[in-house]
Amino acid sequence: MIRFETRRHFLRKLGISVAAMPLAWNLPSLGFANQQRRKQRLVVVFSPNGVVPKNFWPDEAGKDFKFKQILEPLEPYRDRTLVLHGVCDKVRGDGDNHMRGIGCLLTGVELFPGNIQGGSHTPAGWSSGMSLDQEIKNFLQAEETTRTRFGSLEFGVMVPERADTWTRMVYSGPNKPIAPIDDPYQMFGKLYGAPADTASLKSVLDELQDDLRKLSKVVSKEDRRLLDEHASYVRSMERELVAAKQSDLGHAVPDIEPGVKETNDNMPRLSKMQIDLLVNSLANDFARVATLQYTNSVGQAKMRWLDAEEGHHDLSHEPDSNEKAQEKLTRINRWFCEQIAYLVERLAATREPGGPGTLLDNTTVVWTNELGQGNTHTLDNIPFVLVGNGLDFRMGRSLKYPKLAHNRLLLSLAHGFGHRIEQFGNPDYCGEGPLPDLS
Amino acid sequence: MVSAANLDGEQIYRQQCARCHGDRGQGVTKEYGKPLVGDRSVAELAKIIDRTMPEDAPQKCVGDDARKVAAFIYERFYGPIAQERNRPARVELARLTVRQHQYTICDLLASFRGAQQWREPSGLKAEYFNKGNFQTKERMLERVDPGVTFDFGEGSPFDEKIGRDSFSIRWQGGVLAPETGEYEFILDSENAARLWVDGDARPLIDALVRSGDDTEHRETIFLLAGEVYPLRLELQKSEKAKDKTASIELRWKPPQRAEEIIPAQALSPHWYPQRFVLSTRFPPDDRSTGYERGNSISQAWEKAATDAALETAEHVIAQLDDYAGIRNKKGDRNKLLREFAERWVTRAFRRPLTDEQKQFFVDRPFKESPDAETAVKRVVLLSLVSPRFLYQDLPQERHDSYAVACRLSYAVWDSLPDDTLLSAAAQGHLTNPDSVRWHAARMMNDPRAQAKLRAFLDQWLNVDRFVDLAKDARRYPDFDRETVDDLRTALDLFVNDILSSSTADFRELLLARWLYLNGRLGSLYGARLPPDAPFQKVTFDDPQRAGVLTHPYLMAGLAYTATSSPIHRGVFVARSVLGRALRPPPEAVAPLPVDLHQDLTTRQRVALQTNAQACQACHRMINPLGFAFEHFDAVGRYREIELGKPIDAGGVYQTKRGDKVTFRNVRELAEYLATSDETHEAFVEQLFHYLVKQPIRAFGAQQISQLRQRFVDQDCNIRKLAIEIAVIAATSSKAYDLAVHSQATP
Repeated sequence: MIRFETRRHFLRKLGISVAAMPLAWNLPSLGFANQQRRKQRLVVVFSPNGVVPKNFWPDEAGKDFKFKQILEPLEPYRDRTLVLHGVCDKVRGDGDNHMRGIGCLLTGVELFPGNIQGGSHTPAGWSSGMSLDQEIKNFLQAEETTRTRFGSLEFGVMVPERADTWTRMVYSGPNKPIAPIDDPYQMFGKLYGAPADTASLKSVLDELQDDLRKLSKVVSKEDRRLLDEHASYVRSMERELVAAKQSDLGHAVPDIEPGVKETNDNMPRLSKMQIDLLVNSLANDFARVATLQYTNSVGQAKMRWLDAEEGHHDLSHEPDSNEKAQEKLTRINRWFCEQIAYLVERLAATREPGGPGTLLDNTTVVWTNELGQGNTHTLDNIPFVLVGNGLDFRMGRSLKYPKLAHNRLLLSLAHGFGHRIEQFGNPDYCGEGPLPDLS
Repeated sequence: MVSAANLDGEQIYRQQCARCHGDRGQGVTKEYGKPLVGDRSVAELAKIIDRTMPEDAPQKCVGDDARKVAAFIYERFYGPIAQERNRPARVELARLTVRQHQYTICDLLASFRGAQQWREPSGLKAEYFNKGNFQTKERMLERVDPGVTFDFGEGSPFDEKIGRDSFSIRWQGGVLAPETGEYEFILDSENAARLWVDGDARPLIDALVRSGDDTEHRETIFLLAGEVYPLRLELQKSEKAKDKTASIELRWKPPQRAEEIIPAQALSPHWYPQRFVLSTRFPPDDRSTGYERGNSISQAWEKAATDAALETAEHVIAQLDDYAGIRNKKGDRNKLLREFAERWVTRAFRRPLTDEQKQFFVDRPFKESPDAETAVKRVVLLSLVSPRFLYQDLPQERHDSYAVACRLSYAVWDSLPDDTLLSAAAQGHLTNPDSVRWHAARMMNDPRAQAKLRAFLDQWLNVDRFVDLAKDARRYPDFDRETVDDLRTALDLFVNDILSSSTADFRELLLARWLYLNGRLGSLYGARLPPDAPFQKVTFDDPQRAGVLTHPYLMAGLAYTATSSPIHRGVFVARSVLGRALRPPPEAVAPLPVDLHQDLTTRQRVALQTNAQACQACHRMINPLGFAFEHFDAVGRYREIELGKPIDAGGVYQTKRGDKVTFRNVRELAEYLATSDETHEAFVEQLFHYLVKQPIRAFGAQQISQLRQRFVDQDCNIRKLAIEIAVIAATSSKAYDLAVHSQATP
């Protein structure tokens, strides 16, 4: 079972000097050494419950295509976008389609039999394989030139506080789901330590010095040595803190809004905070692989800010004939697309540190979903929208495939990083290798 | 006149110098009153002596003689190292040791959550529910289960009332950690199950998802010995999950011990509050004088103490409403938090605050912080990095009842006083030694006291150094990892049995002819037990058994991988049991390889190796003590011959007073040790140092012999000795006075 890398563990590992850490990571000589090859990054974003196909998929194939309602927010990045229709999750076996939809999405392999019972089908457990993002992370971490502090970062937005097949997309191995971190403050602590601690510490050290001075006057000569020594250590810690504070941290540590509670209605703010942290951690080269998971498979966000009072999953079950529901679903999916657009905008606005261009020139964002369509629960035509130039794919196109297995797309992503594996997940679906016509 | 040519420095000093300077350089009032101490070098001293000494006849001590005397003076009392060595023992200012720090934080936080006594160890409260979701109206059965190991098959746990397809069970209570360290909890079930060990915040093991054939879940958690942690375990069998069968087992693997079903004596069916254990790692304490003490600090310690304060502050803030007791409480939140902050500092400092302290540690942070949460965080931080928290017995705080309470609780528990003790202090009850003794006896029944005594005995027996014990696999193929864990468990059971008995007899510890073995150990150590027999008392009739001294775990630990080691065993007896001072060997010597001396017994080989004059100074004492154990081989099995020759375990020990003690084997040696003054004195001194962490000589020159007499008068009861020691430490404020008075001397 995977547990969060908690603040306690973090403190144990790094101690108080985390305050000074962003500095160290930001030193050109440390952070950006060994850059013969360009950096490549992958960000996988998940949103649940399928899409509304008629408002999602472009009618045209090729370079000349038009974005429909849902994908419109990506218009400014049309020439850096690739829409892949006809990619299907063919993995079957135990578990219902929502479970397999998320559990096999990045692993491409069956779930173990288990005790988690969905709406239909047989009960199932965790995935029986590693997910592709972790495969690529391991590939990058194995080489010194591409190794980063974390390798990969798993972000979430409003992921329910329970570990089951519907809430986990990323696996470090069979039966090893990784929990996404959906609390921006927890993620902030993981990335930068907690500067708030530094502040509160700073505030008490002066007073501590006072107290030590007072005591020092009343102890014996022999014992005074101990207190004086203590005071000198406190002084040196104080100096360290001051030094860390005075240095210009630049964009190394992002400002995040304080005190945002994890509630349904705060979802837009939480989303922005997580995206800001994500982009910042890429800029600092903390990781080259990231995932961002919105809610969970069968997620029930109530997007009141879009006039969609009902839970997302409940809405997605409504038939095509329920036009009101389809409209709401379209708004919901468009909202997710706006989040992708914000992420892409931030990547495009951030200069590539130590190299030419921007982060977007070296980052591929993959937006995906556990289902093709909510009311049919189909695993055909899983939405895959790619934005950015992290991999050498020819962008600015809409492609229509004849129902090819999504394992082949997973292979394409690996090959894009130069990781030329022949199979990923269930080999039965890897037949002819990476998808054709991408690069 | 006798020429001084072949006299050494000491002899010359005695002849020519001691008349005026005293036999230890302390000075002679009518002649030369000042002590011979200073910072000149040996060469300078030699020159002075050559020219000027003795005053009445400077020509009598010149050249080589002067140099010899100078070296002698310098080394014995003149030089800085000698001065330090000869300094009278005194109570030194000390910070909390690492162990004390961990316990203090843990118990400080627990005091805000309603700390509970450990009681009725018998198992866990179990509630059995019809259907899979713990609904109160479906609760059909409530009882105490001594342990969790059930296989319900396809049936129901309670046929009359609970259906077989769908039910749920909840076990709750407290679990007592017998040792400090990393515990592995193992939950084995094919059903949905979850385990919480340190509170409700997050399950330690979340096995709601069954996946594949994976039914065994393991997680590790760091626990402090003698503390009680809340434990909750839930099992759900549901039709929906298509569970055919149901079974569950809850095991643990305590540090370096054998994995086992958590036994009933470690489980209580009562409610216990959430615990918090620091995860900050501290640098180890100074142990150069034989016991851990807090009289030195370092940058690493200061950093760890600060990290610990931050970690604690963060935890308190995260659960502030629980700690402050203001969940669902009406009233002015700021006011309630301020009251909490004041209570916090009072408890952390183990005494009521003066007005000035209240102003400094509570009022000011509240005045200067933007909101009450920030203020509380500052208060917690400031209090935990303050010397008033980190140190013990600060000068102005040494003479009131609170000082007595603190010294008592740190001696017995390594932790802060509980509410009972603090209120006794507040009412002035601790001025009376009998009252202090009553509290000490009361506190000795707490598992933390037992844990501290156990930790002492582990150190006394050296077993805290036995890490990764392993043996030559060709010679001892059965001595595997599990055997080592079993042996450690067997030693625990043995020591605990004696410590917790009403007599707690030190002599029994050294002389018992029984030990605990299980089936696996039985076959290795020659006891007739079924292979799967659980641990049980086994009495040996071979003549050599001598309690813990010949315990196979100790024997195996004090041995090489293929042969016994009389030197390790002899050093253990000399240092720990007899309290003899041994210098480190003059040079590092590798043991003689067995291959080169294949015809020699271990005893002969060790004798050969240590026959040099330089070695014999110590090995004359060490070797016979070690040879006494030769009936026990490298894994602690009894033997009567080695290399076809009968074992020779006989020897002589010369006591500190010069008496000779002859023994033919380890049993006879043990019988001497169990009753000798020397052993008792050594035990008293070491236990005192471990409990009090200050030199016993600072509590009076006669303290050791008085305590030894009391120990013997009380039938060598270890627990009663610990109580006496704690009472002395708590009530001897005179010893602490000395520390203040020395302020006056320049």
